[in-house]
Amino acid sequence: MKPIIKVQNLSKKFRITPGEQPGLQYDTLREAIAKAVKAPLRRWRGNHGEEGKDTLWALKDVSFEVLPGEVLGIIGPNGAGKSTLLSILSRIIEPTSGRAEIYGRVASLLEVGTGFHPDLSGRENVYLNGAVLGMKRREIEARFDEIVAFAEIERFIDTPVKRYSSGMYLRLAFVVAAHLDPEVLIVDEVLAVGDAGFQKKCLGKMDDVTRSGRTVLFVTHSVGMISQMCEHAILMKAGRVHMKGPAIEVVDYYNTMWNTLAEKRQA
Amino acid sequence: MSKHRRKANMKITGNQSASPAPALRQPVAPTSPDTPEPAAQTTHHLVHHYEVPDKPVVVIESSKAWVPVNLANLWSYRELLYFLVWRDIKVRYKQTMLGALWAILQPLVTMMIFTYFFGKLARIPTEGVPYPIFFYTGLLLWTYFSGAVVMGANSLLGNTNLITKVYFPRLIIPGAAVGAGLIDFAIASVLLIGLLLYYRFPVTWGYLMLLPLIVLTTLLALALAIWLAALNVRFRDVRYALPFLIQAWMFLSPIIYPSTLMPAQWRWVMILNPLTGIIEGFRAALLGKEFHWLALGYSTFVTALLLVYASYSFRRMEKHFAEII
Ligand SMILES: Nc1ncnc2c1ncn2[C@@H]1O[C@H](COP(=O)(O)OP(=O)(O)OP(=O)(O)O)[C@@H](O)[C@H]1O
Ligand SMILES: [Mg+2]
Repeated sequence: MKPIIKVQNLSKKFRITPGEQPGLQYDTLREAIAKAVKAPLRRWRGNHGEEGKDTLWALKDVSFEVLPGEVLGIIGPNGAGKSTLLSILSRIIEPTSGRAEIYGRVASLLEVGTGFHPDLSGRENVYLNGAVLGMKRREIEARFDEIVAFAEIERFIDTPVKRYSSGMYLRLAFVVAAHLDPEVLIVDEVLAVGDAGFQKKCLGKMDDVTRSGRTVLFVTHSVGMISQMCEHAILMKAGRVHMKGPAIEVVDYYNTMWNTLAEKRQA
Repeated sequence: MSKHRRKANMKITGNQSASPAPALRQPVAPTSPDTPEPAAQTTHHLVHHYEVPDKPVVVIESSKAWVPVNLANLWSYRELLYFLVWRDIKVRYKQTMLGALWAILQPLVTMMIFTYFFGKLARIPTEGVPYPIFFYTGLLLWTYFSGAVVMGANSLLGNTNLITKVYFPRLIIPGAAVGAGLIDFAIASVLLIGLLLYYRFPVTWGYLMLLPLIVLTTLLALALAIWLAALNVRFRDVRYALPFLIQAWMFLSPIIYPSTLMPAQWRWVMILNPLTGIIEGFRAALLGKEFHWLALGYSTFVTALLLVYASYSFRRMEKHFAEII
């Protein structure tokens, strides 16, 4: 079967000290002058800048493929480059090199409630958030009642969301996103919202999503969720794909990795 | 603890169908009745098989330095533009008592102050136009223009969360800021109609020029807004310099005085300001005066130039917004 997502040697370099990002063009006279003056100075000092402590390869030669209908989990320690990978696949940031191809419409959920405005009511935010996530107005209208019912906030639908409890806020935000209808869904660490009851509901909803044949790429720190929802998983470490394979094996390895670390620290 | 799988870099590709532990794949909540019961299939994705097209829908690569504006892509996001304008307007007047009246109040009060100080006291010659209407026509357009430029220039910074978390053509954001200004302009125009009726100015053929002039103002504001917005992401200096520059620009534009106040041999200096042609054209259209076509032509030319430069410059910086904002 042909893959729906193809990622080939994707790399991303960030500048981690204050200053210009690598690859940023110089477009004002002042900077052009500053650059012309600084370049020989830097050479003279023997500081070649660029590589080294100023920059960081948040992703390095990441390659993988995802088949249609597959649910791929991505795990890894903090700073491994998981969010960077999803941002690139969502076209929010550009890779430094490499290439990715996606053979379907993409919807990304990198944060719950992006575009929510605290002063607007729940109703207004559903429309706004839907539009931000790429839904058409007709689609939102058609699903509005379902969204409100699922979030269980009927009574508060005309209250400004700044008066919601944080759980209510997250529920509403999650539900809008859960009603997206793309071929590829990209999700970053956002499923663990709300109270236990609502989490169950969310997982059920995610299960529906995967059952309907959509491809899902999701990052989580919950190994339980990976082994529950995914067939395959990727373990990322320091910007590289450290391991990929069946979800249970990756999760197993990941757990062992932490345990080894813990043992080392105790010794 | 358990066996340490040090060398576990087993390259298992996605299509090797290792069946996941079935016990763990139980649905957590009861599936809704409208979803087909997938009990029989373990590889359920084969059921709703998605026909993978030959050509990718999205290709992700590092782009070249110069990228043209993709109008088709912008057009497909017009609903988002509409919603962002709607949000800006809603939020601006939420929890205010007077609501949209504020859009009228600002130019109105300024007009009254000008009428008293520059009109009654300083007696600035206005070519026979009553002071209130002379000042209000200028202020109406100026309030729209300056508001759109300032809001637009700060719009990207004000929408950081959108920029770092969702994909859409970033031009939509300053575009929405200008659009919201246009709504305020429409509201404040109501008072202008009142003034025109009160002073009994007749409707003339000049009215036909109103729409092109408003479009021109909008495009000029848009050009500056998108250019400054992009610059503002990298250099926050814009945010501090702008209020001062805008104020200076107001005094250099024929709002308080007509450009004929300048000695004839210096008039061309005023006309170098693209707003001169637009504001005087706006007055001419409403009050039935002669158009200064040369000045208008020049304003159109400058606007077109700025718009092209600004959109290319924006596109060039756009790809870094999410990283450096
Ligand atoms: N805009 C940026 N500028 C500079 N460095 C960045 C930027 N975004 C991310 N980084 C760096 O890239 C690395 C990877 O970050 P990323 O957010 O992808 O990690 P992650 O795997 O999602 O971690 P977590 O589990 O904590 O969410 C980090 O070291 C981070 O500091
Ligand atoms: Mg992350």
